[in-house]
Amino acid sequence: MPQRSRRKGTSLLGTAAPVVILIGLYWGLIHAPADAFQGDVQRIMYLHIPSILTAYLSIFLVFVGSCLYLWKREKRDDILAYSAAEIGVLFIALTIVEGSIWGRPTWGVWWTWDARLTLTAVFLLIFVGYLMLRSLIEDESRAATAGAVLGIVGFLDIPLIHMSVYWWRTLHQPPSILRPDKAPWENIPWALLTPLLINIVAFALLYFYLLSLRFRLGELQEEIKARKLARS
Amino acid sequence: MGAWGYVMLAYGIVWGTILLYLSSLKRRLRRAESDLALLQAEEDTGRHEKK
Repeated sequence: MPQRSRRKGTSLLGTAAPVVILIGLYWGLIHAPADAFQGDVQRIMYLHIPSILTAYLSIFLVFVGSCLYLWKREKRDDILAYSAAEIGVLFIALTIVEGSIWGRPTWGVWWTWDARLTLTAVFLLIFVGYLMLRSLIEDESRAATAGAVLGIVGFLDIPLIHMSVYWWRTLHQPPSILRPDKAPWENIPWALLTPLLINIVAFALLYFYLLSLRFRLGELQEEIKARKLARS
Repeated sequence: MGAWGYVMLAYGIVWGTILLYLSSLKRRLRRAESDLALLQAEEDTGRHEKK
């Protein structure tokens, strides 16, 4: 994609994301009714589900970038994987924190070694490990290859996390929207589903804005390295 | 802590962390842009001196 149209896309995302985020905040915190069973604390769902879906999207892009890098050995694909991993770690960590805060009033504990929670913690550790691995290996090509392998392996944790609530007896509830047996609107009333969908869109717009900035940073860092290398 | 206390804690942490990450990303981006501009300027000066 030409540099100019990419910059235009980034600035469009940077304008649209805050607008949809504000609509999502209004809808989730003020307009939506309180849940009949959990009360107002259920409003954390408008952060929690968008955060984990954004994390899944980000790690899916790590997977795509990693596969493409191992196949074609193009630096651009590695930059995509590295950028998506950094933002993915942010959203996985936020999901765990939100879940912990939501768990305290509903389950009575901040943390429990439930299958889904444990697998999500492992998911975070894999991608923190990915970032550490990338910064510890000096040879860039080796770091990119090792990162790509770990990125692909780490992605395989997503189906485990998603299916854990079916495979094991867990404290965590089954999925609210991505269920194999029911459509989302059969599971949640529209009054709660609407703010959830708005917040999912808000997080997606924010995610692509952050990714475009992080990808640009990766490109600039590569160019700086290449120019310094050419000089020496 | 009441229900709204937990809600505000979660929203505060999430949006605070995202804003911190965004500002650090923009700072890193500005630094990289200025480093690249500096390198470009040095290369241009070097080319002029050779001529």
